[in-house]
Amino acid sequence: MHAALERALVELVHGPPLGPAELAKLAERHALDAESRAGLAAELEQWLVYRTLVRNTLKNALALAIPRTLARLGALFDESFERFLAERGPRTHYLRDVTSELLDFVAPLWRADARVPPWSLDLARHEALEIVVASLADPPAAHELGALDVERGLRFVEAARVVRYDYAVHRLPDSTADRSTPAREPTALFVYRDGEHDVRYLELTPLAADLLEQLLAGVSLKTALVEAAARHAEEPARVLPSVAELLADLAARGALLGAAPDALASRATKLDDAAIGREKGPP
Amino acid sequence: MTPSATAARRSLPNGVGLGLRWEFLEEVLDGPPLDVAFFEVSPENYMRRGGYYPAALERVGQRYPLVTHGLTLSIGGQAPPDTEYVNELKDEVARLASPWHSDHLAVTSSAGRALHELFPLGFTHDTARRVADRLDALADTLGRPVAVENITYYARPAPRELTEEEFLAELFARTRAGLLLDVNNVFVNAKNHGFDARAALAAFPLERVVEVHVAGHTRLASGLLLDTHGAPIAPEVLELLGYALERTGPVPVLLERDNDVPPLATLCAEVRAVRAVCERAWQAESATQESHARSA
Repeated sequence: MHAALERALVELVHGPPLGPAELAKLAERHALDAESRAGLAAELEQWLVYRTLVRNTLKNALALAIPRTLARLGALFDESFERFLAERGPRTHYLRDVTSELLDFVAPLWRADARVPPWSLDLARHEALEIVVASLADPPAAHELGALDVERGLRFVEAARVVRYDYAVHRLPDSTADRSTPAREPTALFVYRDGEHDVRYLELTPLAADLLEQLLAGVSLKTALVEAAARHAEEPARVLPSVAELLADLAARGALLGAAPDALASRATKLDDAAIGREKGPP
Repeated sequence: MTPSATAARRSLPNGVGLGLRWEFLEEVLDGPPLDVAFFEVSPENYMRRGGYYPAALERVGQRYPLVTHGLTLSIGGQAPPDTEYVNELKDEVARLASPWHSDHLAVTSSAGRALHELFPLGFTHDTARRVADRLDALADTLGRPVAVENITYYARPAPRELTEEEFLAELFARTRAGLLLDVNNVFVNAKNHGFDARAALAAFPLERVVEVHVAGHTRLASGLLLDTHGAPIAPEVLELLGYALERTGPVPVLLERDNDVPPLATLCAEVRAVRAVCERAWQAESATQESHARSA
């Protein structure tokens, strides 16, 4: 197949629907030779079968990943999907990753479109998270993990993330028939895959979310604690017991594995003496 | 240089295998041993990911032979196959100890876009040369033989220099790769494009067949047949399978079922029906060989 015909067929399949009149324009745009033009026109109906096949495959993958978003948005979602196909199209070999590509594309469109409920993107991202976290890479070969040490970072399971939403979409019922509206409420969740390969969600306080984001980024426990406490106008020593409780819970769940090996510890931010002094103060 | 696919053919049992689907994965893992010669898997479903499915597949591999069959190589596109994908594929087929790796004679990506469907390639001399070179390079990269499957095509891109049979003859004269013969695809193409399936199949380079696929199809109201892998195998396709196997001799045969997947017991019953066709065909082929030997 010539390069021009290959490009024209992609546009025919991914682009807006077209009839014989638009077909001539498509052939013109791609500078198709006479044989290719004649072949396309003669078998247009058969070529259009590929439009249906491609849409069925992608829609099935999306319905698996974000069923409630599809059900709630209906025709609005179809409109976004068609625009995604026409203007960007999937780039990934992996069907499970098409949802993330589509959501990245539609995010600015949905934010700017008053017809799209403002919680839609949060709901879609939350639904998509299940497959994303279920598929994240397994941990590399075991490291020498030590007991928790404030001077070092922490090692979590590889499949762990902190996510944030503007709406409490995680509290919506699982049913695709549900049409209740999520509360507008800043939300942070710790999401991880447990030892049984199940994806688990923990709702976080704002301070815990900041702390875990820092820890997942590889900074030392001391730095994460001091910076998260400062952001919420708290004394590190005052929040230390609840932080210890959180970390113990994550360890019991198998999400927190222990102290990071030395290589990661070296990435920890150095603290000045004043900060250390604050942390050592009385509760 | 990587050995040819036909030389590696004996690495997989000459029985009837089944496409592994997540719908019955746990039954395969935890149930009693199944009368299935091997399982075939799409590596894209397991590559670049952790979690349950790759771990489960490794356990399946401890109980049954596995062979990999990809979906997104795009061997016939203008752009060469994606190097990053091929390198990851190499690791995956090695992890699964697949005796060879197969994909489709198709275009599955273009201008950076992944099509997630098998688009037909043009049957031209240029395409045959390009695909042959790419297949041999792929085998060298993967470090194991490769095979390609004849696909269903609902339309045929211009220019049409060659018939499919002529194209395959030229392609396989130029490459060490094997042919993964999909009998249902030959049948569907013959019906949709109005040619004789047996005559076309007989003109395929059957001596290069390393594996055979068989599946069900769906008839649309318009009369068009779609290769859906979503129905039991049609009786005419089973007949064509027998016809093909009388000419190939014993090879691994795979039942594909990807849509409207029935219970595993139903699929195993269909595997047995396919095996009966295989055994009859191979007995006939063996008798023909003996007769030729006597007359010689």
